[in-house]
Amino acid sequence: MIHTFKGGVHPNYMKAPQVPISVVAPPAEVIIPMAQHIGAPCKPVVQVGDTVRMGQVVGDNPAPVSAPVHSSVSGKVVAVEPRPHPLGDTIMSVVIENDFRDTPCDDLKPLTEEEMKDPDVILKRMRDAGVVGMGGAMFPTHFKVRGGIGKVDKLIINGAECEPYLNGDHLTMLNFPEQLLKGIELVRIASHVEKAYYGIEVNKQDAIDLLNSLHPEQYGIEIVPEAVKYPQGGEKMQVFAVTGRRVKPGALPSGVGCNVVSTRTCYAVYQACYEGRPVIDRIVTVSGSAIGRSFNALTRVGTPLGYLAEQCGGFVKTPRKIVLGGPMMGICATNFDAPTIKGISGVLYFTEDEDKSVKDPHCIRCGKCIEVCPMNLEPIFMYMYYTKGDYENLEKYHVMDCFECGSCAYNCPARMPLTHAFKTAKLMLQAKAAKEKAAAEAKAAKEAQK
Amino acid sequence: MSGQKERIVLDAAFQPQVRTDRDTRRLMLDVIIALIPTVIVAVLQFGVNALFLCLIGAVSAVFWEALYRFLFKKESNIGDLSAVVTGLLLSLTLPASAPWWIPVIGTMFAIVVVKQLYGGIGRNFLNPALAGRAFLLASYATLMATWNIPKALSGTVDGVTMATPLASLYSTEAAGVMPAYFSVGRLFMGYIPGSMGEISALAILIGAGYLIYRNVISWRIPVSFIGAVALITLIFGKKGFGNGEWMLYNLFSGGVLFGACFMATDYATSPVTLKGQLVFGAGCGLLTVLIRYFGGYPEGTTYAILIMNLCTWAIDKGFRRHQFGVTKADIVLQKAQELAEKEARR
Ligand code: SF4
Ligand code: SF4
Repeated sequence: MIHTFKGGVHPNYMKAPQVPISVVAPPAEVIIPMAQHIGAPCKPVVQVGDTVRMGQVVGDNPAPVSAPVHSSVSGKVVAVEPRPHPLGDTIMSVVIENDFRDTPCDDLKPLTEEEMKDPDVILKRMRDAGVVGMGGAMFPTHFKVRGGIGKVDKLIINGAECEPYLNGDHLTMLNFPEQLLKGIELVRIASHVEKAYYGIEVNKQDAIDLLNSLHPEQYGIEIVPEAVKYPQGGEKMQVFAVTGRRVKPGALPSGVGCNVVSTRTCYAVYQACYEGRPVIDRIVTVSGSAIGRSFNALTRVGTPLGYLAEQCGGFVKTPRKIVLGGPMMGICATNFDAPTIKGISGVLYFTEDEDKSVKDPHCIRCGKCIEVCPMNLEPIFMYMYYTKGDYENLEKYHVMDCFECGSCAYNCPARMPLTHAFKTAKLMLQAKAAKEKAAAEAKAAKEAQK
Repeated sequence: MSGQKERIVLDAAFQPQVRTDRDTRRLMLDVIIALIPTVIVAVLQFGVNALFLCLIGAVSAVFWEALYRFLFKKESNIGDLSAVVTGLLLSLTLPASAPWWIPVIGTMFAIVVVKQLYGGIGRNFLNPALAGRAFLLASYATLMATWNIPKALSGTVDGVTMATPLASLYSTEAAGVMPAYFSVGRLFMGYIPGSMGEISALAILIGAGYLIYRNVISWRIPVSFIGAVALITLIFGKKGFGNGEWMLYNLFSGGVLFGACFMATDYATSPVTLKGQLVFGAGCGLLTVLIRYFGGYPEGTTYAILIMNLCTWAIDKGFRRHQFGVTKADIVLQKAQELAEKEARR
């Protein structure tokens, strides 16, 4: 049986899993931002002039919601300063001059077989290796898994890879199937659950067959084939497709006993535990009409975006934007010097060919945004209230439940900037709520003084 | 390379970075394509004049739209083809005997008064083509009810004009007597007099099938509309007809099918909520039958749809759905809480 959810769209997939994994030569200088996860940013633990080895910790933070960052090359620290971050702004970064020797750091040893049966050891290793949600959410995995213990009875591995262009998960399945299954098993053990469900869209049938041929059941894993539809990989959609459970509005999947972990994260857990290797590289799909073809490039964390494009043959057309991740949820980098980070699964160099926005869009009331919204929202009205600045109705129409999947705006024939508006609206509402809370607190404090 | 890099200005364009190929223009083009079978039947039955009227409708609609946008210094939007659709739809509701200036006046009312004065595409609350038709009906009643004999019936019937099957169906004198040439099969094929677009059920259904297949319109409005008409006429039959026969006659005569597939599905004037669309369609069907049964005028479709157009906003407000993850139990609980709060306040 093929599992899925209601709503969603079928974008032009532009996938190229047939392109073999290519290795991007590490750049002469890598930039390691201190914020490559959601939560407390790291503080640099090295100084200018230090020699670092490949995989050595260069930034850390003891806060619970955090994960250390590691050097992706060996060499010398040449700067510890704010640098452009791919997701905007400048962020404290450690810049390392590459000595091109890749001298490995052996701080992390492969775990023994005994240790790999101990959830606490695995969780600690996830943290030490800097494993975060590598599907793009970048939430520290150790924290997510630990938080689910006791609540979660079903572990779900996200292998949908529903975003157009991206092939990294698919290629990981095809090239490292056994390692992947072992990685999932580790996450499963760390989560204290009996069984993990691996949801994979059926456009990766070859990977499904391959994984099934390796007897996933001996690792406590069941492969769940899923319909090819965006956003199948959304957490709530994954949970629904696999278990039929509906995550409540505003709640996390753990509220219905599920945790969703991405494919590449499980592979990173495998590397961390079996190889003692922290997260210092990943497959990044490089594509877009400015490049003219697709690469599935094994890229070191900290590789500047401009350098990455050069390594992939340079531009055949002038790029207009650099999209990080997939084109549906990915946001744009505006600086060629910004580096790739752990959570970036794709870098798409788009020209105006991909741009379909119009100057003065008019909603034609076709209802196509409503038809596809996987959260059952009514984007047309949310947008209307957004343009009116009507906060109350925005809330009534549940704008806070929008998870910015982009389906509505993708499907809108009039090209209304729906998703962008909701993103802004959510920020406005949050700011307003924060302000009101602060005001209420101030008032309460005053009363207390009296 | 790096020199070139400096000069490239990067957009921080907002997500999603890709969009479907199917823009407004493409949807409208699909509607035009879906109308082709209907136009072909009209030409086969009424001659080239039918095509001529359709073209005049389309061209004049575009003309009015362009003129209005030009005079009021607004950006031209004729590229979206919505005016062509309106013009074509309006023409197809006319009798083939209509003089050439009828669609010109009709489209002026449709485009200028109904569509543009309310702010253009997507803002109007009445279906422009139908409102144009209603305007013409009120102003030129005789011209709008002169039915040429279709080619399929020439030789069978004498004279130049004749009554439509719908009129025969509801005529008080000859209750239960339908002429043999108005058999259900012939109605289905379109071998009958009537408005150019409405005569052939077959052609309309082909077009509607195309629109639904291409997901230009959803099935909800046509199915609930036609379903409501079918159900009511099946239950409340008429003496002299078998109930099934009466139902089929009601479906295939007059504008029910054309209205359900092409008029009631007009984006701007029908609900966008999914349940709302079902309610809207059923309402159109119900009103159509009510007007046919109890109104002085046999053709109820136009007014039924126009009346429902006025309810669209209220329907959209009233038939919202719950966001993903909200169960029936949650809703009951929430309602109970609200009630309790109200009580407490009192
Ligand atoms: S999809 Fe776009 S044009 Fe259609 S109703 Fe939604 S916002 Fe309006
Ligand atoms: S409203 Fe939000 S959740 Fe719904 S389709 Fe649009 S972006 Fe996705």
